[in-house]
Amino acid sequence: MLKKRVFSAAAALVLVMSMLAGCSGGSQKDAESSGGGDASSGKKDKVELSLWLTPQWKGVMDASEQNADYDSFFKYAADKFSKQYDKYDVKVNVQVIAGDQRDEMLNVNLNGGTPPDIFFESVFAMGDYVHRGALEPLDDIVDDAAKKDIDQKYWDNVTFGNNVYFYPFAHNPGTLAYNADMFKAAGLDSYIGDANAIQTWTIDDYDKILKALKEKLPKGSYPMGLYALNNQGDTWNLAYLRMFGNKFFDDQGNITVDDENGVKAAEWLKKIYSEGYTNPGAESVSSNDANAMFQNQQLAISFTNPVLFNNSKADMEAGKAPKFDIRLANIPSASGNPLSFTYVVGACVFKTGDEVKTQVAKDFVKFFSTDPELVKASKNSIPVRSSVAAEFKDQYPLFAAYDANASNLFNFTGNVPGYSELRQVLYPELQAMYIGEKTPAQAIKDYQTKGNAVIQKAKESSIIFKK
Amino acid sequence: MKLRNYHWKENVTGYLFILPQFLMFLIFIVYPIIEGIRLSLYKVQFNQESFVGFDNYVTLFHDPVFFKSIYNTVIFVVFIVLLTVAFAIFVASSVFDKNAKYVSFIRGSYYIPVMVSMVVMSMVWGFLLNPANGLISYAAREMDFSIVNLLGNKHTVLPVIIFVTFATNVGQAIILYIAAMIGVPKDLFEAAEVDGASRVRIIFQILIPLVKPTTIYITIINIIAVLKIFVVIQLLTGGGPNNASVTMMYYLYNNAFKYNQLGVASAVGVIMFLITMLLSIPQLRAMFKEK
Repeated sequence: MLKKRVFSAAAALVLVMSMLAGCSGGSQKDAESSGGGDASSGKKDKVELSLWLTPQWKGVMDASEQNADYDSFFKYAADKFSKQYDKYDVKVNVQVIAGDQRDEMLNVNLNGGTPPDIFFESVFAMGDYVHRGALEPLDDIVDDAAKKDIDQKYWDNVTFGNNVYFYPFAHNPGTLAYNADMFKAAGLDSYIGDANAIQTWTIDDYDKILKALKEKLPKGSYPMGLYALNNQGDTWNLAYLRMFGNKFFDDQGNITVDDENGVKAAEWLKKIYSEGYTNPGAESVSSNDANAMFQNQQLAISFTNPVLFNNSKADMEAGKAPKFDIRLANIPSASGNPLSFTYVVGACVFKTGDEVKTQVAKDFVKFFSTDPELVKASKNSIPVRSSVAAEFKDQYPLFAAYDANASNLFNFTGNVPGYSELRQVLYPELQAMYIGEKTPAQAIKDYQTKGNAVIQKAKESSIIFKK
Repeated sequence: MKLRNYHWKENVTGYLFILPQFLMFLIFIVYPIIEGIRLSLYKVQFNQESFVGFDNYVTLFHDPVFFKSIYNTVIFVVFIVLLTVAFAIFVASSVFDKNAKYVSFIRGSYYIPVMVSMVVMSMVWGFLLNPANGLISYAAREMDFSIVNLLGNKHTVLPVIIFVTFATNVGQAIILYIAAMIGVPKDLFEAAEVDGASRVRIIFQILIPLVKPTTIYITIINIIAVLKIFVVIQLLTGGGPNNASVTMMYYLYNNAFKYNQLGVASAVGVIMFLITMLLSIPQLRAMFKEK
């Protein structure tokens, strides 16, 4: 009996020991391999970088390339970089992140101490990470040649406090897109602009257009896309709130939308929604749904940017979507001047605490943001470099149209801290307004109160405001 | 002392055998709970933590959305659990004594949704219910009915979510009930029949009391599952309209990953943990008493 017990006790002990050994074995092996890496002097040391991006353009230079995908450009750039880089043997792991997963992924990885080395994304979505002190300033990799080639307004967009935190690569101006075929069918020929221009309508024109479309469109089609399910595509909703002249932010970076003009804009939104000038159920429709409906010719007017616009055209060419005459228009405003905003897209470098990786990451960012061949890929959006824009201006006549719009640009984020959380405050208020739970005035008032509370809280911990 | 030593020697094998699992339990269950409680007292930024006492809890109790999330969660728990138990008893008691092939068919049909991922189910429902281009609104439009946005109406959004979750989950309960009911001794039914008892009476006075342990088990696992309801909300409504369908788990997720308020999220986690404990203890006690 005793023997049996001793035996089973020993068996249990062995089981536990083997498990512990199994656990510790791995770490021992890791330690050995990293030690081995140091010993191999003579060769270049290995540095592995992680680069994340949200979907931008497909292919290295063009979506028509074979196997073109969202990561093609960075894989190509990494290969080119490591071939000519003499300090380290660099490997870049490229990962594409869905736009609506970005903050979740970054927050988890930042808190876990494993942020990516480089993130390529629209600056507006990443400004918050500057305020939180998570990004490295990039001033040391910006030279005079770049400052000359890229207009000051783009540098202003990526400068927080006194430092540059993103290397501008391209920009994506937001506009409306409209289905010129549907306009013609509704007898709106006189409102159709040139195919290579961005049409500007007054608010009165716009109201007439919506009315005519509503009367003439077949059942199941709607004049304009409207959505408020989540924060995706919210910049257009923010732009609509400026339609009657509201400035949105004051000089201290507080929201000031709750005035006569802000409320008027909200009332206009509610009015076009209630009177059936938009798709129904805006409170549970996402911007993706709206875009899909526009492509299916269920909407005559929708939101767009150059990437979405080019993708829509490419889908039509490839037979993936019904073909129609798609054109661009500005978001109208009461003043008659169009409302225009743009997303500057570029790379930033996260603070990882590893000096070597940070340096290599900066070198790589500088490389793909300045290499004469690689910067040409910015033609997929709108180039920030005058040299690239000039080179392609004949091939892409819309570049000039976007350029003409640049004087009407407004900075929709106000570069305020807490912008990511601020984005979560708007859509519930719009939902409340659309379902009639709040009046437009009440929704705007509540948005301002909640939004300013978010900004105030973020200011307290912002490294830019603390300075 | 000697006696304790003896007991220790007597049981050492048992302790050693449960040690691996116990270590896992400590590392993956107990440690996160303690860490969660600790974090709920801190303001967490990715590079620093500062002690703020009960500030996170104060923030929570000043946020009407948090109370809304508790209210919604309670509504979900009560209705989904009641519906699941009632419907599963109804289906199981109607079919358990029928032909084996028929029972298998019923079991299989109700179990298919359980096997399909909740993500897929939510996406399918999302497609059906989308007010702009969904199938249901399309059909309504074609038949000239006015368009009702079930997910965009704060009075209908909760019933829709309750129905979708219930429809996906009920298969599990039906399987468990049928198994339990098949296990009830046949002679009890025969005796009741001889005494002239009706089927309804047999179900209410013999079957349901005898499958009580299963009822308790199903109730507990469903309460715990529904307290954590998240996927349906994330994919179907995003908490909307205007936070009308926010649950505690979704509120926690938003704070942790969207708003980057880990401290507040941890405080929600601690409160959820306490609620789950409070709800489960009486049930667990009842279950152990039975044994």
